[in-house]
This record gives sequence, structure tokens and C-alpha cells, in this order.
Amino acid sequence: MPKQSRKPAQERSQERALVVRLADLTRTFRQADQEVRVLKGISFEVRRGEFVAIQGASGSGKSTLLQILGLLDRASDGLYELDGQNVSSLDDEALSARRADTTGFVFQNFYLIPYATALENVMLPGLYSGKTHKRGQERAALLLEDVGLGDRMDFLPARLSGGQQQRVALARALYNEPSLILADEPTGQLDSQTSRDIMDLLNKFNREGQTIILVTHDAETAAYAGRRILIKDGLIDSDSGHKP
Amino acid sequence: MTAIAAISHKLPPQARVWTALLGTALGQAWRAVLAYRLRSVFVTVAVSLGIASLSVITATMEGANRRIDDMVRIFGPDAAFVRGGNMFSRAVGQRTRTISVGDVNELRRSLPGVYIAAPLSFRGSVSLVNGSRNYQKDMVMGSTEDFCRTWDWPLAQGRDISVADMERGESVVLLGMEVASELFGDENPVGRGILLAKTPFTVIGVLSSRGSSGSDEMDYTVAIPLSTMIKRFNQDRHYFQNVRLKFEDPQNMDAHAANVTSLLRYLHGLDGDRPNDFSVVTSLDIQRFINLIKNGLFIFLGITALAAMCVSGFVLANLFYISVSERGTEIGLRKALGAPGLAITLQFLCESVLLTLGGAGLGVIWGMIIGLTVTSTLFSIEFSPFVFVCSLLAAVLVGIVFGLRPARRAAGLEPISALKGQSA
Repeated sequence: MPKQSRKPAQERSQERALVVRLADLTRTFRQADQEVRVLKGISFEVRRGEFVAIQGASGSGKSTLLQILGLLDRASDGLYELDGQNVSSLDDEALSARRADTTGFVFQNFYLIPYATALENVMLPGLYSGKTHKRGQERAALLLEDVGLGDRMDFLPARLSGGQQQRVALARALYNEPSLILADEPTGQLDSQTSRDIMDLLNKFNREGQTIILVTHDAETAAYAGRRILIKDGLIDSDSGHKP
Repeated sequence: MTAIAAISHKLPPQARVWTALLGTALGQAWRAVLAYRLRSVFVTVAVSLGIASLSVITATMEGANRRIDDMVRIFGPDAAFVRGGNMFSRAVGQRTRTISVGDVNELRRSLPGVYIAAPLSFRGSVSLVNGSRNYQKDMVMGSTEDFCRTWDWPLAQGRDISVADMERGESVVLLGMEVASELFGDENPVGRGILLAKTPFTVIGVLSSRGSSGSDEMDYTVAIPLSTMIKRFNQDRHYFQNVRLKFEDPQNMDAHAANVTSLLRYLHGLDGDRPNDFSVVTSLDIQRFINLIKNGLFIFLGITALAAMCVSGFVLANLFYISVSERGTEIGLRKALGAPGLAITLQFLCESVLLTLGGAGLGVIWGMIIGLTVTSTLFSIEFSPFVFVCSLLAAVLVGIVFGLRPARRAAGLEPISALKGQSA
């Protein structure tokens, strides 16, 4: 059963630690004359430092949920608070600005800019963020060393393997010190050994305090996360609950 | 980009946001221009062809303007030229000499503002001989005293035709620069004797060169005193072919020309509808004539250039539409990372303007090559800074106008659909 969590007053001290709060979130798509309800009322909270895997079969609505969490899409109804701020009713430009400052993305297909070097790709979020990094280049270089690509900073994506490209994407997601990293099937294009390497890196970032939400259909990948939420037909089927 | 950053600290916050956006867009655009080389080459070449035709027409107009200035300066902005005979309905050999000595005196005396009224005559086919050197001149000019002042034409050497030369009908001659070198080579011709139509004449002066700014023929001028011409060649003493007039205030040349016409009509007893038996030409008429040709050229070349610019603009828009759909993931990614629509629009506009500026540079080079190979006797094609500025402005305009729709389309892409548009 979905865990409906309304915060009692005595837990208010923990509100500050909330990164994500969803309450009765729905998303309806209009196709021709038909209304398709993809999300039918999702409620959960994610605390700072959690590593959450959202699992579900294709068509379950997990990708739509991730897009709403990443501010790439808007809920039809319900509440979404990110970092304690209600973002349900922000317009496109305001969403862009929030996106730049609060979220980091890791995609299944890596999505690096083909004509920019690994280092420049890592620095890309800095171009559109209000946060300014005085030593952006040094920071990007450190992040690349963190993911084990210290010797390939000037490589163009075409000269990097899939696993290496995803490492660059990881470093990029961390660049703006986001409140939340959203990973959409990050290992979907990788072989099992490389997948393990990427998941180990995500785990390492999580241990350092980074909040991560991962979307996957793969149980092995989901097993890396401390908390698993299973989505079925647009509703939460099970939630393993917060872990300290 | 660092320069933009340095400036941006001194600006108010709103402007700082804009310069930051523009700086980022320019930097990213430059990388994309270098990365998508084939597109860059196609757009640059397409735009350069448009700019080439535009720069050629602008340069031709510039050349025409300079030509007008030169001709007006050489003719004399304050001068008018009266020709005897009606240029539209004259019978051959008849009434070509209608300007009498009396007319000239009257023009000098009663015309307001006139300070020179100098009659002149011409004599065709005259041979000039200095020893073994021989030069056949198709036209010799008979002029009154003060040739230099009348024609605003300084001497290079020697002296002008004097009042005494005129009164006595002296056999003296002024030579243009080229004639002097044909007859004397490097020697100084002043004081030397030549045979002009088998009659001995003394060279008193050499006219300065006008070859660079005017027509080459100016430097082949040969001038002798009018009185000498009348005497030696048995010309009419009472009538002249032409009169050159100079006026004090050149702003009112049209009014001066009207005065000359009405005075001469009165003196010649022409009333009512009877046509003029003379014609008056001023520097304004020369300007009008060349302007007529210039405007004709401007319309035809202008349409061609406009068409060429539009074609290159459409090529640009087309290639940019393709580019936007090819780069859907890049655009989606940038938006997912928080790029506002404006940042995407600016990036693509910068790409387009950078390429059209490149096209402008290349186009002006094409234009100069065309200018060097195609030479016109009437107008020269001259590339001035003005032509460069025009080409750059036109290029920026084409880049913005034709780049805007593809750029807006890129900015309007939904990040999700743009990212899904392409699989790895």
C-alpha cells in the first residue's frame, strides 16, 4: 500500500531536511479526444542524503514521474515541493532557472555535446546557472578526476567509450552542486561490468551526502539504492521506506 | 568572452544578465561554427555570393559618385558653358556660330554674378612638329587671356596666355602634359619653338596633369590665344562657337543658367515658341546626366543584389532548420540543464551572424576580384570603407532576419521531446 505521509507537528524539525515532497500528484495527457491518466496520485517524500530507486515496468509512469521531479514537465494536479519551495505552478522560464540551480541529470544516452571536450561538457551547467564558480575549470577538472577521467579531460565525446561518456555525464550532474541528482536508466546502454562501475560511483556520491533519485526497470540496478519505490499503473505499489 | 566578462562588472544588473547571456551564446556559437564545418562552409559561401553582388553595386555607386565629383570639379562647379547653335535642330554647317562678340560683352556686363565670360573656338586636325617628333592633334583650342583662371587649371611650368598675347595675336602655345612629353620627352619645352599647322609657335607653358582624376584626354590639350587662332586659321571675327562663364555663387547655378538663357534669347530676338539657337550647360547638368545613368544602374544592379541576398538568406534559413532538427538532443540537453529559451535563441542567432560575417568578408573579396576584372569606362568600381560597412551591416541583417525563425524554433523545443528525438 502507498505510504500516505502527512507530517505531524513533532516531526517539523525534519522538514528542513526534505528535498522532495509530492502530495497526490497526477499527470494527464490528452491524446485526440481521450484523456490518459499516467500518474494517478503519487505521494512521497525524499530526505536529504537518500538514494531512491523508482522501479516500474515500461508504461508504468515512472519516466513521467522523473520528468516532473526534474522540472522538465509539470503535474496536472497535486503538490510538488522541491527544496521546500512549491514548484507546481512555476512558468517555463522560472522552471528553467530552478532546473539550473537545483537538479543534475544523468540520462540513459549520456547526451554530451559532441563538439565540446569532456572538461567543457562538465562545465556546461555553469553556463546557465545563477551560481557562479570562480574556479569553474578547476572544479570540473577535480570532478573528472573523481570519476577517473583525469587523463581524458580534453577528449571529445566521440573518442570516449560509453562508460567513460556516462562518467563525464556524472561529473556534469555534480558540477552545480545540485540538491538532487536524477538518473534515468543510467546503465541502460552499458554492459554489466561498466554498469557496476557507474552504480558504484553513484553510491560513492550518495555516501558523500548527495541525494539521488534513480529510475530503472532493472532490479539489479535498483538494488544499489537504499530505498525502492515501485510504481504500477500510475500509483505507488510499494515503498521500502526511509533509511537513516 | 573574457573581455565581455570584464565589461559586464561595470554595468547595471539587467545589462549584466544580458552581456552574460550574450557572452555565453557567442562562445557556444563559435564552437558550433567550428564543429559543423560543412554547414559553415555552405552558409558562408552562399552569403558571400549575395554580399559580393551587393558590394559590387555599392562600390559602383561609390565610383559613380566620385566620377561625378571629379567631372564637376574639372568642369568647374561655378562654371557654365554656352554653345552656339541649337543642338536639337541645327542644320549641318548652319548657325553653329551664333554667339557674337556683342553677346559676350553683354553677358560680361549685364549678367548678375558673372566674373568671367571667355569666348573660345576650336580648330580640328592640326599637326604639331618638334624636329623629328610629330604629333597629330584632332583639336586645338583658341582661348582668351587667363586660361588657367578660366579653366581652374594650374600650370606645371612657364606662364599663362597674357593680355598682350591676345592683343597682338602672338604665336604662343600652352601644351598639356602628355603632348609636351610626346614632343619633348624629358626636356623642358618652355621657350622652345614648334611648328603648329606648319606655322612656328613658341611654347610658353605646360599645363599640370589631370590624368589621374579626369579623362586622359585632358592632358592632350593644346591651347593658343583666340586672336591668334582667328588670324592664322581665318576664322570668323564676330562669332564664336562657345563661351565659358564663371559665376560668383555656385549655389545658384540653375538661376544663373536661366538668366543666361533669357538674356541670350532677348539679344537674339527670340520670342514666343521659337527654339533657342544656343545651349547652356552647367555642372548641374553634368551631375543630372550621370545621375540618370547611375540611377538606372542602381535599379538593375540593386534588384540583382537584393535577389542574391534573399537567395543566400533562404539557403541559410534552410541549413539552419536542418541543423536545429539534427541537434535536437543538444538543444534538449541545454534546456534540461536550465538554459532559458533566450539563451538558445541567442546561441543560434550568434551562429548565424558569425557565419554571415564570414560571408561578408569572403563576399567583399569576391567583389574586389570582380571589380578588378570588370572595368567600366564610365564608372570605376571602388572599394571604400563605406562598402565594407554596408556589407557588414547587410550580413548582420541577413543573419538575424533569416536566422531568427530557426533559432526561435530551437528555443521552443520541449526538452523531453528534443532529448527523445535521437537515440544514441
